[in-house]
Amino acid sequence: MPQALVMLGDAFASLMTVATLFNVAWATLLGIVIGALPGLTATMGVALMTTLTYRMQPDAAIQILICIYVGAIFGGSRSAILLNIPGTPASACSTLDGYPLARRGEAGRAMGISTSGSWLGTLVGTAMVALLTPTLGEMALSFGSYEFFWIALFGIVIAGTLSGGDALKGYIAGFLGLFVSTIGQETNHAYARYAFGDPDLAGGISLLPALVGAFGVAEVLQVMRGPRMQPVAATVDSVIPRLADVTRYWRTILRSGLIGTFIGALPGLGEDIAAWTSYAAARRASKERELYGHGSVEGLMSAETGESACVPGAIIPVLTLAVPGSAPAAVLLAAMMIHGLNPGPMLIVTAPHFIYRVVAMLVLADMAKLVFGLLLVRPLLWILLVPRERLMPVVFVLCCVGAYAIASRQFDMRVMLVFGLIGFVLRDLKFPVAPLILGLVLGDLLDKNLLRGLTLTAGDVSPFFTRPVSAVLCAITLGSVLLSVPAVRARAARLLAR
Amino acid sequence: MADESAASHVTPPPRARTDLITAAALLAFAAAAFAGAWAMPTFTERGGDPFTAPGIVPGFHAVVIGLLSLVLGARAVLRGALRPDGGPPPDWRVVEGASTLRLALAAALGVVLVFGLVGRVPFWAAAALFVASFTILFEWPLTPRGKRLRRVAEGVALGLATGFVVTLVFERVFLVRLP
Repeated sequence: MPQALVMLGDAFASLMTVATLFNVAWATLLGIVIGALPGLTATMGVALMTTLTYRMQPDAAIQILICIYVGAIFGGSRSAILLNIPGTPASACSTLDGYPLARRGEAGRAMGISTSGSWLGTLVGTAMVALLTPTLGEMALSFGSYEFFWIALFGIVIAGTLSGGDALKGYIAGFLGLFVSTIGQETNHAYARYAFGDPDLAGGISLLPALVGAFGVAEVLQVMRGPRMQPVAATVDSVIPRLADVTRYWRTILRSGLIGTFIGALPGLGEDIAAWTSYAAARRASKERELYGHGSVEGLMSAETGESACVPGAIIPVLTLAVPGSAPAAVLLAAMMIHGLNPGPMLIVTAPHFIYRVVAMLVLADMAKLVFGLLLVRPLLWILLVPRERLMPVVFVLCCVGAYAIASRQFDMRVMLVFGLIGFVLRDLKFPVAPLILGLVLGDLLDKNLLRGLTLTAGDVSPFFTRPVSAVLCAITLGSVLLSVPAVRARAARLLAR
Repeated sequence: MADESAASHVTPPPRARTDLITAAALLAFAAAAFAGAWAMPTFTERGGDPFTAPGIVPGFHAVVIGLLSLVLGARAVLRGALRPDGGPPPDWRVVEGASTLRLALAAALGVVLVFGLVGRVPFWAAAALFVASFTILFEWPLTPRGKRLRRVAEGVALGLATGFVVTLVFERVFLVRLP
């Protein structure tokens, strides 16, 4: 523990430079703007900034990306409260009580609650990163190929189960993502799978162009098809959070913070699930249930705390297992790999100080979020009024450049567009897109570990089921699949009720 | 990561028959993918371990996609996909103001930019042309007749500014050579 505290102190000391604080300020502000604008998501913001920062020093680049991530998840609540349209999907839950508060003339109070809840949520989550990541990292050191195979499969299954209402379509999307990840040269024999002689396809489908397409281009198309949005309030009351709002609901804040962190740490779920789960738990425990959905301060606080606690939570599996807890965390993982930071089980051995540096980065981003959340309410109102007809083409151009910038391949722009169209069609058919992208992220992990496991045992699959951790992961994965079948779920609920 | 889009609530859930057609398309895709995996070399003749054959993993994924699409198809049939009306209509409240025409126009402009303009003209010009035409075309029906010329000028200015700033920032600051 003392060693951990020393590393944490060193991390804060190393980040206390003018350049770092400047980066924290502009990146968090940019994140808030990105999150506030419907059509720009946290994933897209982090993906675009990954391409812009990849020539920077690793620490500076990761700091900027974390600030964008933290800021964007928070910024989404602005449009949720003022437009009744969540700026990011994570803020969908905030519309339930934020918008009714704004409609009755308490938009400022709603944004104050959102700011304080979000700030405290990220603090709770960050504390959990500092406490849990080293322990989980050491546990992960004992994992072998069999366990990593199940972790990849579990990520797909859990993302499919919880990400869109229809688990079956979620699984299909996840396996489509896993399949797409196999396109291009594999590592054992350098054989180009499904390349059809095309050198670009032989290079494989890169994560970032696919991500920018599925989350950026598809979103541009969705926004252009949808109805125009109008803010409910052009002016707001005071945004300074009331101490009574915070102290009265401290239990809700703590509970939502822990739930948000836990949901974040599960592979592939993300901030929206965290917000909804925190909201549901707060409602169940609340003495003022009837206010929920009609402008409940507690409801808004729980949603904001849950979604913001999820951000650090989603970084825990990135650092310990190289498995993302959310879509923006998937991009963060890719960015860490691009910068040679090698997140995963070996991080605790090779660069334990980096874990504490991420903790310090999260705290700085959280502080900047608090300051901007309280100071920049009115300028954000003006930004929300930018017409989509002018914003979306600029976003599309940035998507193109973002997809192109890392590898300077025009092919990546085409991949982006194709994934944008695929993502759009899948959403229309009510297939969740997140498992598709998670499949693309986890495909390599699954591919390598399945083959490595089979090679080690000369084709004997029993270790995949008999090693203790493998057996547990297998049981959880199969249990999740079974419980997604309505008949099985109903039967299990009846058994539990007896 | 549930619903990635803030604006995806404008379309209804698909009917059972749409799911059946989707399942058939997915099954065909899975069969083609499996055939492709099966046809891949195993490299055993060069002394390679048979369990490192390139086709194992994509074949595994193709089999799972095929099985899941069969389940999707069966579920669609149980939900009435084979009925003359294609299944019961989804429980859905129509969202006012959604437009397929706007969607098609946005998608077409995107395709023209990526497949038609980029690589053929300098990037700043491609971006300017795209942004200007996008803005002008979408704002045209919303603009009163007397203000249209001004809107066109604003669209052109926005396009040129975007092309200039994006090119300047990426090429000079981030040192990315744009196509």
